[in-house]
Amino acid sequence: MTSPMGFSLSPYIKNTPALARACQSAGKWYAGAMGYRRMGLKYDDLINEEHDDIQRALGRLTPRETYDRSFRFKRAFQASVLHKDLPKEQWIPEEQDVRYLTPHIEDVHKEEAERAKWDTIEVERK
Amino acid sequence: RGYATATTDSAPKVATFKSAKPTASVTVLLSAGSRHEAKPGVAHVLSNFAFKRNAKHSALGTVRQAELYGGVLSSTLTREHLALTAEFLPGDEAFFIDLLASHISTAQYTPYELQELVYPSVLDEARAVQLSPATRALELAHAVAFRRGLGNSLFADPDAVHAVGIPDIATLHTTGLGGASLSATNLDAAAVAELFAASLPEDAPSLSSTAPVVPVTTYFGGSTRIADFHAGSSAVFLGFGTTTAAAVPALHALAAHISPAPAVKWSAGAGPLAGKLPGGIHAETYVFPYSDGTLFGTLLRGSPAVLKDGAQAVVTALKDAAGGLGKEAAQRAAAKAKFTLLGALESPLEQAQLGERATAQVETVGALDGAAISKVAAELLKSKATFTAVGDVHSLPYADEVGL
Repeated sequence: MTSPMGFSLSPYIKNTPALARACQSAGKWYAGAMGYRRMGLKYDDLINEEHDDIQRALGRLTPRETYDRSFRFKRAFQASVLHKDLPKEQWIPEEQDVRYLTPHIEDVHKEEAERAKWDTIEVERK
Repeated sequence: RGYATATTDSAPKVATFKSAKPTASVTVLLSAGSRHEAKPGVAHVLSNFAFKRNAKHSALGTVRQAELYGGVLSSTLTREHLALTAEFLPGDEAFFIDLLASHISTAQYTPYELQELVYPSVLDEARAVQLSPATRALELAHAVAFRRGLGNSLFADPDAVHAVGIPDIATLHTTGLGGASLSATNLDAAAVAELFAASLPEDAPSLSSTAPVVPVTTYFGGSTRIADFHAGSSAVFLGFGTTTAAAVPALHALAAHISPAPAVKWSAGAGPLAGKLPGGIHAETYVFPYSDGTLFGTLLRGSPAVLKDGAQAVVTALKDAAGGLGKEAAQRAAAKAKFTLLGALESPLEQAQLGERATAQVETVGALDGAAISKVAAELLKSKATFTAVGDVHSLPYADEVGL
């Protein structure tokens, strides 16, 4: 079953220091140019949430994080209705654009893989 | 992520017992009973958080592996201890001791496990208690007798559970490591100690021998009534408490004397309450010995209309016992108490809690005579009684109406 996280080259690039340095500035420019920060959103707000494991990961956010996420959505919907970006002081700065949901999604995937492993394990009694 | 900075003792002392069972067991007794909790309900939540994710094993992995090996993992909360027990077949001690050691030193207490796994099971238990007048009567008896400390309830309140957070749980876990002890059944002490020490990570917290400081218990006594018209039956607990440790063997014998439970099933039994209790009333005598206080009493359950007569019969039996106990009655009581104590020692929890003192106590109880038992009964009757009534409070008696 495919997941919204999909296939990505970024772990390989990050693990090679030379490649990482080369791609760093281009990556940062592109993230800014995508425009989601100008609508007051973080990158993990864009992850497609109509998926069971993303819902489980969302259940692991703290109440504060959930509230902030809902606020960002509400604000972004308003900007979308007006067909305008938010005022500059409401843009998300680069330091705040942290992947807050991805660690939870990775945990959920690890746990599901572990459950699948235990369900299909073959036991030999020595 | 470790939470404690307790000193690491090398190779903890292990108390071993022999039992006729084919299985072996290892129990870790943490000083994390309900008397050590800073906030109500924390100990109950901590006991349900046993064997969840730690550094080496996930919650699912622990359960599946234990099942594949063929073992039972349990956590039992008492007022003074949290007992983590692993019962298994004698060849598998390496795995299960590693499990226990990993939980003690590297339990992670993640927030999502609290929400997804622990809160639901705590709420289930808490709601089941709310529906049982007998359990509530016993919890209230402790609260009335000892107030805080030993009076803390074993069970969290369903409405107060969500106020318990990860920091509270972690603090109680750290407190529990102080004065903790290890005991094993059907295993070799040195082997267990070695396996345990080998499974602990280098810098992780471990069991230490300094017990946490708790306020000294005082017995207060008193009475309380709780209306509960939802349950079909009512419950009344009447008893006494004491902080004298020397009285405990006689209390076991007195409980055996008063207890209406027959030795032969379906018979009326032989004792002061045989045939005196109204129909439909179940009565059990309890002795709750703790390290610095004991609660003794009878719990009556049944239809509220006749509980008053049952309670009066129990008080009359107690007063008669204080007046003097015949030789045969005393012998019967001592033998019954000895048998009950020895029977209780079959469980790993009781072995761990009572330890080596158990055999000595059993001998003391067996050697009691009528004078000793009456003396203790008379002293109890002079002190303030503990009386709790849960259920149809309109029909249930007050303490002075039953002679206390």
